[in-house]
Amino acid sequence: MDPSPNPAKEHPADPEPSRLSALLRYEILDTPDEQDFDDFTQLAAYICGTPIALISLLDEHRQWFKSRVGLEVCETPRKISFCTHTIQGDGIFEVQDALTDARFHDNPLVLGAPGIRFYAGAPLTTPDGHNLGTLCVIDRRPRALGQSQRDALVRLSRQVIRLFEERLLARRHAEQAALQQAILDSAASAVLVMNVDGTVARQNPAAQRLFGYEDEELLGRPVSEALFPRDALENQAALLSAEFHQSIEPGFAVLTAPLRRGPQYMREWRLRHRQGGEVPVLLNVSPIHDESGRLRGYLAIAHDLTFQAQLQLRLQQIAAQVPGMLFQFHWHKGDYGSFPYASEGIEQIYGLQPEQVANDMTPILEKVHPDDRPRVSAAIHRAAEQNGAWHLEHRVLHPQRGVIWVEARATPVPQADGSVLWNGLVTDISGRKAQQAELDKQQEMNRRLLEALSEGVVACDAQGNLTLFNDLSRQWHGQGARPVPPEQWAYVYGLYQPDEVTLLAHDQVPLFRALRGEHVRDVEFVVRNGDQVRHVQANGNPLYAPDGTQAGAVVVMHDITERKRIERIQREFVATVSHELRTPLTSISGSLALVCGRVMGDIPPHLQELLDIAYQNSLRLSALINDLLDMDKLSAGKLRFDFRVQALQPQLEQALRSNQGYAERHQVGYRLGGHTDALVRVDPLRLQQVLSNLLSNAVKYSPTGGVVELTSELRDRWVRVSVRDQGPGIAPAFHDRVFQKFAQADSSDARQKGGTGLGLAISKELIERMGGRIGFDTHTEQGACFWFELPRSDLIESTSGEGNK
Amino acid sequence: MELKRILHVEDDPSIQAVTRLALEMVGGFEVLSCSSGPQALAQVDAFAPDLILLDVMMPGMDGPQTLAGLREHPALADVPVAFMTAKVHPGEIEHLRGLGAQEVIIKPFDPMQLAQQVRLIWQNSRR
Repeated sequence: MDPSPNPAKEHPADPEPSRLSALLRYEILDTPDEQDFDDFTQLAAYICGTPIALISLLDEHRQWFKSRVGLEVCETPRKISFCTHTIQGDGIFEVQDALTDARFHDNPLVLGAPGIRFYAGAPLTTPDGHNLGTLCVIDRRPRALGQSQRDALVRLSRQVIRLFEERLLARRHAEQAALQQAILDSAASAVLVMNVDGTVARQNPAAQRLFGYEDEELLGRPVSEALFPRDALENQAALLSAEFHQSIEPGFAVLTAPLRRGPQYMREWRLRHRQGGEVPVLLNVSPIHDESGRLRGYLAIAHDLTFQAQLQLRLQQIAAQVPGMLFQFHWHKGDYGSFPYASEGIEQIYGLQPEQVANDMTPILEKVHPDDRPRVSAAIHRAAEQNGAWHLEHRVLHPQRGVIWVEARATPVPQADGSVLWNGLVTDISGRKAQQAELDKQQEMNRRLLEALSEGVVACDAQGNLTLFNDLSRQWHGQGARPVPPEQWAYVYGLYQPDEVTLLAHDQVPLFRALRGEHVRDVEFVVRNGDQVRHVQANGNPLYAPDGTQAGAVVVMHDITERKRIERIQREFVATVSHELRTPLTSISGSLALVCGRVMGDIPPHLQELLDIAYQNSLRLSALINDLLDMDKLSAGKLRFDFRVQALQPQLEQALRSNQGYAERHQVGYRLGGHTDALVRVDPLRLQQVLSNLLSNAVKYSPTGGVVELTSELRDRWVRVSVRDQGPGIAPAFHDRVFQKFAQADSSDARQKGGTGLGLAISKELIERMGGRIGFDTHTEQGACFWFELPRSDLIESTSGEGNK
Repeated sequence: MELKRILHVEDDPSIQAVTRLALEMVGGFEVLSCSSGPQALAQVDAFAPDLILLDVMMPGMDGPQTLAGLREHPALADVPVAFMTAKVHPGEIEHLRGLGAQEVIIKPFDPMQLAQQVRLIWQNSRR
């Protein structure tokens, strides 16, 4: 063998760095003496018969002795070491006499202490081929090893390396164990290690805290007995027996049997605390196998669910307050759904218990009304595909409550595994549905009513959007509700003044006025639709919501086209007839006037009375015709007024003068009572007409020798003129009709008293046209008192006059 | 100067008669009665009236047309004309006055008062 170092020969690359790192891996340098190693050095010295034996390890600069026999120093510089030569070879390196060896004759270790003359070293070679150092023997005299000694040295060196390996492994194990312990100790979850037979082998501090057992109370006990409630085990055993078609004992097997399904098994349990309380946990059980795959025990990790349980309890309490059913719905692709969570409300809604749907949605689907089932099912699929919010109303066949309406809303939370978790709420809306149905019924009724009406009805909302046209109004306007702004209603819907040609201004449209809060009464206008011209009379009202805010407006139109036509014909007839009557009447009364006025000479006495009668009646006929014409003009709005502001008193005096003759003929006296300086704004001719009517009426109904009193008095801003007679008064039954056309207390009155029956109606119209009002007071025993009031013009003038001072 | 001669145009013979009687017997005027506008226009120059009374509604040539015809006679420029009408619509009096009539007498009139009424019209026109 070649003793000279020749590294390149066996290690093409410099082997030193990897050898050093291998050495360091064993973590043995500078460690204390160990008997195990000393045994080997003693044995080596004994076998080789040398005073010195060493286990020498070489690092970068020195050789360090892990074990030494017969030597005090524990290390020497590497440069002068014999071992550095040994580790460069594969076998024993032997120097029989150092003094004669050129490599060592001047070595301080040879020349000085320990005075080496003989050296033999076997390299300590690791399994991966690194020479960490040597097992060597040294003598202070030259000598040689026998073959058996050399052989023994090599074997011993291998044992030393084995010891290194063991030591390293033990260290690694200790580290792993410490790490495990640290993990277990600091784990928040309770960890239990079970033996194969189910007895507890270990628990971590979290388990100790969670279940309350000291190690000595728990270790060695069957876990099923110590922590699991008997009834829970029995329940599970029964379920598992059914699942695996095999009897499962209600003991530890309950935890291990499910492992046949997969490498681990997780389930919620309510375990027992040492003190007897319940501990809700999520228990994860997995088997422990050794390297050879043999089952060594089981690991159980328990997550404390107390907090979750409290949360769940709170959720339950909250859910109980929610009217309806809170739920989590888990949808797996492929038509499979379950309700991992359903609040107690499920009983109210579906008549089910949460457990019944925890793993399967079918019980709920079966409760859905058969008619709605396809719709509900389709909606679930669609929502799951689109991952969108879900909203559906459907009927439920509740086992106790019968058919109820429910509304379901849910929002999806996509899960990592492709399934979808829906959080939602199902509420009972039967009440609302019933109200809705009732409302629908009412609306339908309203709609039918509207269509059955012979009136046109239109309505709009508070914003002026047209919302309703019934059949008739659609027909009249030739169109229905359209988005037309109120300003254009008149134009779009053809709304005209009664003259049929002037478009209504937008603020004259009844619906518009009603929308502004006005109550519109009996407004007449014209609806034109092409050639069709329709006169209507409209009433409109604002619509109010229950809270009092205005919700819109409605207008009801009544077709008065026919009435208008008849009125017009009537008016034309009256006008024509009146005119045609007047012409002959003019000549009759004119002739009689001339005769009775003795223009044609004296009248024979026997003719006098008859001619007078004829003359008086021709006058009455003229008056009747004049009244008819006046009335006609008044109602047609064609009578003109020539207003002048003037003193009232002279007007009254003139009226008395004008009617003096009439009163005298009836042997009735006039008296002017009261006196005012009031000014009034009137048409004097029309005022005279009214006064004449009232005075002649009073005279007619006065007893012979009676007195008619004409008075005026101030009443605040008004001046009142009264005509009081001493007649029979006005019968109560007649009060309502006093101012109506052709009204006289008794139809025979007209003949008895003369008059047309139009006087009071005309007077009322005239007074009202002049801004006044008319009425009467009556006590049947005291006669009648007709009065009218006119606004005082002097009041305004004097006020403004004072203001100017 | 005094009102003496009155031309009266009226198609209705009865009214014509009553009017003429009233004017002649009560007022003492000299009256020429015509039954139509053309007749009046034909005779007016010869009669030379101091005042003319015109019915409004007449067949053929009505009152206003007759008035227009009369206005073409220069000799009649100062002769007052009064219409007599039974049909009094609003504005009709103003309308008739606008045509150049002095006054409008409403039918039926009181024949006992007619002469006085006519005299007033004539006097007003003289002012």
